[in-house]
Amino acid sequence: MAASGVAAPTRTEVLQLYRSLLRVARQFCDYNIREYSKRRTIDAFRDNKNLTDPSQLSAAFSDGKAQLEVAKRQALVYSLYAPKDQKELLPPQLVSVPSLGFCPS
Amino acid sequence: MASIAASSISMQPRHALATTRASGLKLASFVNQERNNLSFRLRPVPARLRISCAAKPETVDKVCEIARKQLALSSDEPVTGASKFSDLGADSLDTVEIVMGIEEEFGVTIKEDNAQNITTVQDAADLIEKLCRAKGA
Repeated sequence: MAASGVAAPTRTEVLQLYRSLLRVARQFCDYNIREYSKRRTIDAFRDNKNLTDPSQLSAAFSDGKAQLEVAKRQALVYSLYAPKDQKELLPPQLVSVPSLGFCPS
Repeated sequence: MASIAASSISMQPRHALATTRASGLKLASFVNQERNNLSFRLRPVPARLRISCAAKPETVDKVCEIARKQLALSSDEPVTGASKFSDLGADSLDTVEIVMGIEEEFGVTIKEDNAQNITTVQDAADLIEKLCRAKGA
């Protein structure tokens, strides 16, 4: 009903969205968020690689565009309040505690 | 290559000075200055830029390395300047990731329409050279 008028994205548009998402992911100051954004983008696009139904394609595409907007906004906000020294993000006692059994960073 | 050229240039002024003609000396000193400036300019530039924009084969090799890592190719698969990314098993998503890897490696920003036209390793290397020259100039 509502989806009938929405055209499926072209291949070029999809690739442009992919590139924009990867570019935005690079702008994050925090390593974890940066790597997560990159990984999530790659995984999501690969999962949806074989979609053929136009309504599914447009849904995935608009989802991607919404995420791009969120990521752009957050990259800007994080950069405004980025800590000068990234090590400050973790409290000192968590950095090296072998008894925990995992590496927190 | 730059160092060999510089050393060959530095050999010549000694010959010129040995002739001990006043006008010859003056000319030689001018020529010395120019050549010395050239030799000083030739060496620091690649070191400062940290990436070898001048040497084409190195750029191609780096691009091949990035493509290999992205596509998880074994080391006996040949990757040359002429190899197309699609022939190496890359789909369009892989190509975008390879271009992003290139951007990060060389510190350049490749525009959207340029990136769409990259099909072979040589295309990518040529684009990098062009952008490096534009940045360095």
